[in-house]
Amino acid sequence: MLRLVASRLLGTASREVPSRPLQILPRLYHENVIDHYNNPRNVGSFDKNDPNVGTGLVGAPACGDVMKLQIKIDEESGKIVDACFKTFGCGSAIASSSVATEWVKGKSMDEVLTIKNTEIAKHLSLPPVKLHCSMLAEDAIKAAVKDAEAKRAKMNGSSKAADVN
Amino acid sequence: MASRLPLLGRISKLLKAPPSTPLCSSRHSLALCFLLRKISTPNVSPWTFASPRSFCSGPLNLPQDSQGPAAIDYRSVLSEDEFHRLANSTIHDLQEKLEEYGDVVELDGFDVDYGNEVLTLKLGTLGTYVMNKQTPNRQIWLSSPISGPSRFDWDHNVRAWVYRRTKANLSKLLESELEQLCGKPVNLS
Repeated sequence: MLRLVASRLLGTASREVPSRPLQILPRLYHENVIDHYNNPRNVGSFDKNDPNVGTGLVGAPACGDVMKLQIKIDEESGKIVDACFKTFGCGSAIASSSVATEWVKGKSMDEVLTIKNTEIAKHLSLPPVKLHCSMLAEDAIKAAVKDAEAKRAKMNGSSKAADVN
Repeated sequence: MASRLPLLGRISKLLKAPPSTPLCSSRHSLALCFLLRKISTPNVSPWTFASPRSFCSGPLNLPQDSQGPAAIDYRSVLSEDEFHRLANSTIHDLQEKLEEYGDVVELDGFDVDYGNEVLTLKLGTLGTYVMNKQTPNRQIWLSSPISGPSRFDWDHNVRAWVYRRTKANLSKLLESELEQLCGKPVNLS
């Protein structure tokens, strides 16, 4: 009986607790950042020895941010068909690289080189101190494209040599 | 200090050696990372990065920066003490000049704050600048509401902080942007 009363009291108490006004903290992560942090898109790894995979590795552990962004190129069309990333760093860095992998899919390599860090920063509403994360993501895209192009050039070069023979 | 000289000599040799491919060879980048880490504080993350294609965003990726960086003399990589001395004096100097500028400009919401070695310049609704030292890279990092993020290295030749990608000079960049934003010129040199 006592237990029932107690639970009833507690039940009522919890229902009656007035919702305290939310204390708005001066610095909140934007919901897009939280979304990418909780549900990061395209986390993973491709085989870096795959000739159709470009790998961009930027940053340094000492600085607190390292990003690895990989893109998979379709041989015929030269477009990016898949992308994945792994990032060591703050929430903004993770979100920036996650956004980058989303934005490069389906585009050509030339097109993704036009992706600017300002666009990523705007999409995530990054505060001034975190703009460097978006720049790192832009660098990661460029590095991955550079690697993919270098591999394609190598492949074309070696296949030409084979034709000659 | 004497023990650092042969170390610097080795670094300069490695930096001078032309990379055999557009990407820094694994031997180069690993050796450079190792040597540079010796100079920097022991406060490095325990997670070591052993991948052969390490793109460190500091002086190490100078050879492969496709956007044509400003030619910076890396013959003498800054020692940490010297870096702190130069960076601190630059930042404190800027802080003083910006505080004076605040009196001139009379902008609503103008605030200069220096705390934890980070200089924050608020320009009310016009935006916020954040400047801090990035010791492992021997860089000053700036975040600007106009030009976004930039990373300045110390250039011995011109005795100034220069952003390799755009060849921008830190003081000149701030001067032109502040004049653009606030309407009044400022001298930060």
